Amino acid sequence: MDTIHLKIERPDRWDNAFDPQFSEWELDRVLSYAPFRDMQPDNFPKKQPLRVILQNDTRLRRFKRGEIVVRAGDYGSSAFMIIRGQVRVVLPPGLPERSLGRKSAGKKSVFHAIAQLWSNRHTPEVRTPEEIRGGDVVGEGTEARVFLQDVPRVLDQNKTVTIGAGEFFGEIAALSRMPRTATIFADSDDTELLEIRWQGLRDLLRSDPALRTHIDAIYRKNTLSNALRAFPLFRHLSDEQLEKVKAQTQFGTFGDYEWSGDYKKLAKAGTHSPEKETAIAQEGDYPDGVYLIRSGFARLSRKFGTGQRTLNYIGAGRWFGLREILHNARNPSANIPYQFSLRVIGYTHTLFIPTKVMEEIVLPGAPADALPRALTEDELDHDDDDPLTEEGGSALRIGPELMEFLTAGRYFNGTASMVIDLQRCTRCDDCVRACASTHDNNPRFLRHGPSSDGIQVAQACMHCVDPVCMIGCPTGAIHRDASGGNVVINQSTCIGCTSCATNCPYEAIRMVEARDEGGAFVTDQELKPILKATKCDLCIEQYGGPACERACPHDALKRINLNRLDALANWLKR
Amino acid sequence: MGYFAKRRVIGVLLLLMASVAVVWGQLQLAPVMRQVGFLTGWALLAACVFLALYNLRKRLPFLPLGSSRTWLQLHAYVGYLSFVLFLAHTGWRWPVGWFDDVLALLFLSVALSGVFGLFWSRLIPLRLTARGGDVPYERIPIVRRQLADRAKSLALESVTATKTTTIVDFYSQHLVGFLGTSANFWRHLVESRAVLTRLQARIDDLNRFLNADQRRALAELAEIARQKDGLDYQHALQLSLRLWLFIHIPLTYSLVIFTVLHVVVVFSFSAGVPPF
Repeated sequence: MDTIHLKIERPDRWDNAFDPQFSEWELDRVLSYAPFRDMQPDNFPKKQPLRVILQNDTRLRRFKRGEIVVRAGDYGSSAFMIIRGQVRVVLPPGLPERSLGRKSAGKKSVFHAIAQLWSNRHTPEVRTPEEIRGGDVVGEGTEARVFLQDVPRVLDQNKTVTIGAGEFFGEIAALSRMPRTATIFADSDDTELLEIRWQGLRDLLRSDPALRTHIDAIYRKNTLSNALRAFPLFRHLSDEQLEKVKAQTQFGTFGDYEWSGDYKKLAKAGTHSPEKETAIAQEGDYPDGVYLIRSGFARLSRKFGTGQRTLNYIGAGRWFGLREILHNARNPSANIPYQFSLRVIGYTHTLFIPTKVMEEIVLPGAPADALPRALTEDELDHDDDDPLTEEGGSALRIGPELMEFLTAGRYFNGTASMVIDLQRCTRCDDCVRACASTHDNNPRFLRHGPSSDGIQVAQACMHCVDPVCMIGCPTGAIHRDASGGNVVINQSTCIGCTSCATNCPYEAIRMVEARDEGGAFVTDQELKPILKATKCDLCIEQYGGPACERACPHDALKRINLNRLDALANWLKR
Repeated sequence: MGYFAKRRVIGVLLLLMASVAVVWGQLQLAPVMRQVGFLTGWALLAACVFLALYNLRKRLPFLPLGSSRTWLQLHAYVGYLSFVLFLAHTGWRWPVGWFDDVLALLFLSVALSGVFGLFWSRLIPLRLTARGGDVPYERIPIVRRQLADRAKSLALESVTATKTTTIVDFYSQHLVGFLGTSANFWRHLVESRAVLTRLQARIDDLNRFLNADQRRALAELAEIARQKDGLDYQHALQLSLRLWLFIHIPLTYSLVIFTVLHVVVVFSFSAGVPPF
């Protein structure tokens, strides 16, 4: 076997342009539209000039009436600007699944599944020529196009909003690595959209403040109603009442959107502690409003000794301060302050509704099932053994040590974390072998990692709510699978820049030296190895789900959504 | 009742019912069926084949053949049931003849090693976790090498730093061998700390003769020795969890071969004997 067989040009960010056919003429045309025509090319760094960003990270797409552009629930890596025509946003509850033409993720055929028995390679990390040299691109356009049937009926049966030329959409989902919140389809036959890869959008936003202001204003205008309606507490409000609430709603952004680097430094230095995190609201302060978590995570804590003890962590769709405001509204003569502190972990986007608005508009007429239970006397006594959560005491069942461990390690980010019960794990490595068997003899995780209270979080991709690994990927090779939201890596477009592996706070991504099908290492012209990023893909192509979990004979390994504590608490007390 | 407790109660109840059914069936059929041994024999063979299939399931993780935990539960309970079938098949007495002796011994060895393995698989993880310092088995030699290298550097540095050979002599006499390889397998299995205690006593004794710099070096060596002892503990217990399978599985293959021969022999010498 040759040691070095294949020499190739080292892959680069813009080797795979979003649209390789994107012409100079089209580029000039895009640059003639606002907001691009108002951008100052001098504001852009020399390595990332405006023109090159647009040429490589955007593409023009044309849609016919009724053609779906983005679907609610899908994960997308790009935003859109309307160049010509208009699109319609379908408001909640949205379209039924069958009309969205969803297809499940491609699984191996039964034959291919069985064939792994003999077809798995004996040499590690072999890649096909396409995977080595690069090929396809990622983005919304790689899927088959889906048309809505009977558009007039859709318009009759659903609330929609029309948005027209010059407006942006899809940027929140693309930038915050969250699923699309609404289905959007073209409303005219000649609709032309500029699709921008999120990496390009990020670079444009960094260099041009006007674009950020423009996009923020669009969010305020188009999305806030939906964001509020997503909370049961606001669903009973009339449109007029909701407009009043919107007018008083304040946006808050805390922490660092690209939090991974700082977190890793703090964790390495061992100086990470809740007291150093930015406080969004402080225990003991007057409850001047309710915080609704729009994205990111925050720590719920209470004073303990001279520090802060973590009671829970809360993520998107949760609120803070409502129980105190409800208590004060019901007991005007016995007002209480915030009972806990809320601190940002990483980054947190909040919506803040002032107490006055809550008392005058939201709480009167609010259905009982949308309200939290009242604070009890015991809870108000600040007895630290009380559950203090609205989740049926999951945090208490888990225990303070493990709770602190999960929060300090930021494991709440994982939707499929590999949790191992060390008191049952025989260290047999059946999980590792199963993983290797299902990935061409290459295990995609390490059965090793930090542990607390007999529970270990292994170094396996957790398929995060906020996959910070995607932040630095210059080509979009690491992306969310559109149907299930799993974070996967496209080997063809991975250029081995190590950005994802560096960004991942959980050491779950490994860089490997690629080999060709003859088993020889692939190098560039300077004889440096060609690297590819690898990680757990949750056995997305296999039958039956993650092989690691199915392979554990002792019920010791589980892929758990640590975003909600109930599942973990139930598993621990099984 | 938790999930595990519920699963155990259901499993034990089903096992008891099946065992009673086997014994009752044998008692009922014995007077009317001349060759009831054929029936129990085939049932036992079917149980053994099912038990052996678990190993095959482990080799096919990419097929939806049910979770390994379900297979292990079935493996354990069918294993217990096969013992009842074995007793029924042998007529509740030790078989006659060397071939059947070997077959019976193999069966009992496989069964006992299985029961031991299950017990050991539940016990050892608790001990490993309680002691802490988990290291993946494959990494143990690497960590051991690192500890040995660190100790060697410390010992050699002490010579230049203190101009005496007291520390390096102690290192050569008591630590080189200990740090060079995994040690005290059996002692760790029985939770004995005698070696570490003895080593600590020697360190304490030597401490009296050292100056501050030498004491610091010796304290570091003592810490390395403690870490190495913890590593040996991990090695011994994790190795034991692997070793029992090296007994259970080869014995199973031997049992399968002898069982096939047993079936051939039985049918070779039973021509013309009616079952009823």
